[in-house]
Parts: sequence; structure tokens; C-alpha cells
Amino acid sequence: MGIISFILIGSSLVFPAVALWALWWAGRNGQLTHADKASLLPFDEQEPVGVMTDVVLNRPAIPAAMRRVQP
Amino acid sequence: MSTPASQVVRAALSPRDTPESSDRRAELAEIDASTSGTVLLFFVAGMVWLLIGTVFALLASYKLHAPDFLNQYAWLTFGRIRTAHLNAVIYGFSAEVAVGVVLWLMCRLCRVPLMAQSVINAAAVFWNVGLTLGIGGILAGDTTGVEYLEMPKYATPILFLAFALIAVWTIVIFRFRREKHLYVSQWYILAAVLWFPWLYSTAQLLLVLEPARGTVQTAVNWWFGHNVLGLWFTPVGLAAIYYFLPKVIGRPIHSYYLSVLGFWTLALFYNWNGFHHLVGGPFPAWMITVSIVASVMMIIPVVSTAINHHFTMVGQFGKLKYSPTLRFIVFGAVSYTISSLQGVLSSVRWFSEVAHFTHHTVAHAHWGMYAFFTMTMFGSMYYILPRITQREWPSERLISLHFWCTAVGIILYVAPLSYGGWLQGKAMMDATTPFLEVVKITLPWLKFRTLTGLLLAVGHLAFFANLIWILARRFGPYRQPEPMILASVTPTVPIGK
Amino acid sequence: MNYGPLLFLGILLTLAGSWFGLVLTPNRQLGDLQPNVNTNTAAVYPQPLPGEASQGREIYRSMGCNYCHTQQVRPDGFGSDIQRGWGKRRSVARDYIYQKPVMLGSSRTGPDLTNIGERQPSYDWHLTHLYNPQTTSKGSIMPPYAFLFEKRKIGYEGASTNALKLSAEFAVEPGYEVVPKPEAMQLVEYLRSLKTSVDLPEAPLPKAE
Repeated sequence: MGIISFILIGSSLVFPAVALWALWWAGRNGQLTHADKASLLPFDEQEPVGVMTDVVLNRPAIPAAMRRVQP
Repeated sequence: MSTPASQVVRAALSPRDTPESSDRRAELAEIDASTSGTVLLFFVAGMVWLLIGTVFALLASYKLHAPDFLNQYAWLTFGRIRTAHLNAVIYGFSAEVAVGVVLWLMCRLCRVPLMAQSVINAAAVFWNVGLTLGIGGILAGDTTGVEYLEMPKYATPILFLAFALIAVWTIVIFRFRREKHLYVSQWYILAAVLWFPWLYSTAQLLLVLEPARGTVQTAVNWWFGHNVLGLWFTPVGLAAIYYFLPKVIGRPIHSYYLSVLGFWTLALFYNWNGFHHLVGGPFPAWMITVSIVASVMMIIPVVSTAINHHFTMVGQFGKLKYSPTLRFIVFGAVSYTISSLQGVLSSVRWFSEVAHFTHHTVAHAHWGMYAFFTMTMFGSMYYILPRITQREWPSERLISLHFWCTAVGIILYVAPLSYGGWLQGKAMMDATTPFLEVVKITLPWLKFRTLTGLLLAVGHLAFFANLIWILARRFGPYRQPEPMILASVTPTVPIGK
Repeated sequence: MNYGPLLFLGILLTLAGSWFGLVLTPNRQLGDLQPNVNTNTAAVYPQPLPGEASQGREIYRSMGCNYCHTQQVRPDGFGSDIQRGWGKRRSVARDYIYQKPVMLGSSRTGPDLTNIGERQPSYDWHLTHLYNPQTTSKGSIMPPYAFLFEKRKIGYEGASTNALKLSAEFAVEPGYEVVPKPEAMQLVEYLRSLKTSVDLPEAPLPKAE
């Protein structure tokens, strides 16, 4: 039991310490500032925020001439 | 369509088309196209396994209340059919569709095309060969007897090779990403592909190849078993929800910081849950208690995810009418919350004392793996398939049939059976109730469950039909590469806000 | 959270936590358990299964019996396992040290079998029950394992000694008999071997009143 207690107690101190250090480092490194911008990653100019992208059922009647068609 | 009037209309409707956005669109089209063959392979194989798994499921469910049905041969006995069902739907359907979604999402979010597809396609082939051998082996009686790891030794190295290749490839995609910033979904996917091979190799080593002594096996077994759900399927499901939910409704996720909290608390707590499967079992109390505590702590990531999803969706529920992806994803997200909270409750000693060993556990397993995970995967496939086949879904009716059969079917499965299992447990707690009386109490709930299984089967067939149909169209005349928004799909007038 | 190495580190460390706590630690704490030697009688418990019973265990595994039957008795006061007569004491880790694989089970569609060898030692009962559970347990949902038996014409020497004695409702037609195949006998030997009511330092049997 000796060596395993050493490993267990040791790692249960080391792991959280490393985790807290990583958190501090992330803060220092700027990982957590303006992080909200990342929530915009799924969007781009042609599928921007505010436009629904998966209209498959019960489509509203839009004349074919007015639908978005790309070459 | 090039009259001055239509040009004006078109320009007015598409003010955002710039050379840069066209480049971006072309890039995404290229990436989607690069993933298409591989993702299709996984999706089609996965759906075939779903159909096979559904047949096994119906057989197993029926046999539980009609035990004389189809028992002439050993390979048809309940103990083998149930096991074949579990392995077909977990390692066949769920895992293969998960990999398809993982590859598509990773390529898209990293903005990198899928390289050397032949290697991953080979992995898909190995996987299905391994599965066929494994499930055939189970029916032949070569099951290992270890829950969630029943496939015999001659099949599993092939599977492990496939898993390892896919994990490595996903990490390679990540390594060569062109998009510097990381999205939530990518953390979850990266975590899932790093965790799963570790889980699988440890479990195979200590349970099948060189079995550890006595109950140490059980410890590893449930560390593995629970973590397959918590550290492989759950992250993939959450990755899908975190991408498709905002993407479809056109609104970013409500709180990025909540998603950071959700991710790390899931990573921290979920993997300690394993021993909540062993409450009352032959283990030192401290091990069980650790798992119960970790299970209760799961409230933190589950609630933060639920809050995030809810506040993203609030006011947007009208959009459910238009998007099958949204319907399935929202259903999956709500089911994630409910099934997780059911899980927390189940792990607490006073609840476990009654519900352990009953059909409540089976209902809970399906609440998580079907109502959450499977429905989320259906939603993901509805989004991905048109974009990789460059075709629209042929039949709206089949989509609706699929959704309503599976949504209604699974609710009618999991809620009543959870209750029936509780009743079974209460009856078992009373030592004066003869065991055959306890069995009698479960019968109506088991029969009802078989009926709901038929409903689910209809839904699966509807989707499979639509899938074959959309693929058949793909092999038609040569088509031009199209942008992500399919022609005639997205009105540029935003629907709601 | 854009930094790959940081993510990597966190992902690996978090799983390493439970790998230490739930895999390595049980291995250390329970992995070297030895059978107990009773100080009075010098009886050793547990012991590896003898040949026939060990074969029977393979059949138990191969048929998936552990998906309906558990083999773990919960402590007194937690559930009603002991009141139901499923065991005189709770199961402990030492009970399982020779089992490969350990089939604790996770579902009680059927009763717990930890001590079925004590509760029900009769060959005849087990054989007829396996052949058709309805013969002994009407209303049971356990499937019949008739394929572990052979239905054959009675030879000119008369009925075999090990032919099943089936009641009128379940009997086969005149001139035929049902005899167990070796697999059925092995399975029954295994079930008869399931007995754990032995005093252990960590789990003594309750004293008789």
C-alpha cells in the first residue's frame, strides 16, 4: 500500500495544482478575454447571425426568381 | 436569369456576396466535398446496423414477455439476442454515425479538407468487418461475458485498429487547422477521440486479454462502461448540439463562458461516475461513495449546458416548424438534461436501493442513448447529408414520419418503463412478495415497450428510405459544385429574429 | 480556449484522475486478495471451480445468463436480498477472486443466483427448470433451453436413468424421452456449486439466535 498511497496522494495534490496553474496561465495568456467572439465561429458572411439556415419543411412560398441562387 | 430587373433583385437580396465570401463559400464547399465519401460510408453503415439492431431489439423485447418465442436454437436465445442488439446499436450505429459527424464537424470547424480519405475509409471497412465477426461471434456463443465488451477476442483488435486510425486522423486534422480560434464543439470532439482509445485499450487489457483478479475486473468494467457513455457519446452529442443549434437558428450560443464551465466540469466529474453502477455491491464503501458524489456533481455541467441551450433557443421555437435538424437537436438537448438528472437521481443510495437491477435502468439507458444521443445524431445527419450529397431531401413526408414516430416512440418507451421499473423495484424490496409476483408486475410495462419499439422501427425505416433515395439521386447526372446554402432553400428574409 | 496543448493537457489529466482512482487503486486494494483459511476448520474459501462446474460456467456465460440474473448479495438493510433468502451474508470482493469473468450482473429479471446451490441443490429441479421453466415456475419469463437437451426414442432397454421426469402437461409423446446433453449437466453442476455462506473475517455469517 505504501507506494500506491504515495502515488495517489501525490497525484491528487499535483493534478489540481497543475490544473489551477493552467487556469492561471490561460488567464495570463489571454485565452479568456474576448472569448465570446468564438461563439460566432459557426457563422460567416453568407450564413450570418440572424438568418436561419435549414429551411426544409413547410417552406414559405417564395417565388423561384427571388430565391438565392449561386452560380 | 440575367435581365436587369432580376439582377437588381438578386443584388438587393444578396448584399453580402463579396469576393471574400465567395472564396470562403468555395472553401467550405471543397471541405464538405472532401469529407463526403467517408462520411457517407459511416452514415450508411451506421444506418444498416441500426436496422439490424432494431430487429434484435424487437426480438429481445418480445421474448421478455413471450419467452417461448423462437427458442429452438442457441443463437436465438434472449441472452445472445439482447447482447447482439446492444453491440449493434452501440458499436455499430451510434459509434459509426458519431464518427461521421465528428469528421465532418472537425473538417468544417478547422477549415481543413479531409486528407488521405482512403485511410479512414479503410478504417470504416475494418470496423464493419470487426463488428460482423464480433456480433456473429456473440450469436455463436463466444461472448466474453463482460458487459459492453462482449465481442470476442478475434474481433476486437480489428475494431481497436479502426478506432485508433480515426482518433489519430482527427487529431491530425486538428493539428493542421487553418482556423486559429477554437469552437466549443472542437473541444468536445478532441476530448472524445483522445479519451476513447484509452478507455477501450485499458478495458480490453484488464478484462479480456489478461483479466485482473476478481472484482477488480468489475471496477474496470464500469469505469469503461460508464465512460463510453460519458466521455465518448456525450461529448460527440454535445459537440453536435453546440454546432447545429446556433447554426440552424442563426443565433450564437448564449454564453461562451458557461460552455467553458460545462466542458471542464464534465471532464472533471463524469469519468469518476463509474461505480454508481455498483451501489450495494461487493466493494469498499469509499469507492461507491466517490462515484455517487461525482454523479451528483454532474448537476453542474448538465445545468449549465441546459441553461445555455435554453437561452439560445428562447423565442426561436417557431423555427422548429422548418428544420428537421432543429427538431431532432432540440429534442436531444432536452432529453440530455432530463436523462442526466435521472442519472443523478439513480445514483443516490436511497433511489438505487429500489431501482437497481430493474427495468428502470434499461429505460434510463435508452433515455440517454436514444432520446439524447440517437435523436441528436438523426438531427446531425439531416443537416450534413444534403450538404455532402448536394441534393435536397426527396421526401418531406418521410422526414415528418421519422420525427414523429421516433419522438413519440421514445417518450412512450422511456417514461412508462422508468415508472414500471420503479414499481418492480418496490415490489422486490418487499421480501414477502414472491419473485414470480414481481415478474407479473413488469409484464404490462414490457409489452407496452415492445409496441413502442415498433413505432421506433417505423421511424428508422422511414429515414433509411429517405437516405437511400437521396443517395440514389446522387448518382445522377454530373452536378455543379454548389454553395452551402442550397438553391431554393434559404429565404434571405430572416425568419423571426 | 484556443490553445491546443492546454486542451490536451486538461483532457489527459482529467481522465488520468479516474484512471488512478477507479482503475489503479482498486487493483492495488483488491488485486492481491487471497482465499481465506478458516482458523478452526482449515477450510479454504473460495476455491477454484472443479472441472464440470467450470465448464458449466462457460455455458452460463455463453448463454448470456448474467443479463437476467445477478450474483451479488447486497448488505442487510440495503434492499431485501438477505430477507429473500438469497444469501446469509452480503457478498464481498473475496468471493470473486477466482472468477473469470466476474459476472455480477446488473439486472434481476430473474432472481439472484449467488447461493442457488444452497437454496436449490436438486439435479431434477434444475434440469426440468432449464428444459422448460414453466414446469417448476409457472408464469416465469425465463426462456426454455430445450436445445441443451435431446429428445429421443426410448431404447428397447427402457427409459434412461437420467431421462427427465416431466408432468403430464409438459411430457413428450409416448415412446420418447428427454435426456440432458452434457452441456445441461455441466450447467447444473455450476449452479449447484454456487454457495457462499462461509464465514469471512470481513463478512461473518450472522450468529444463530
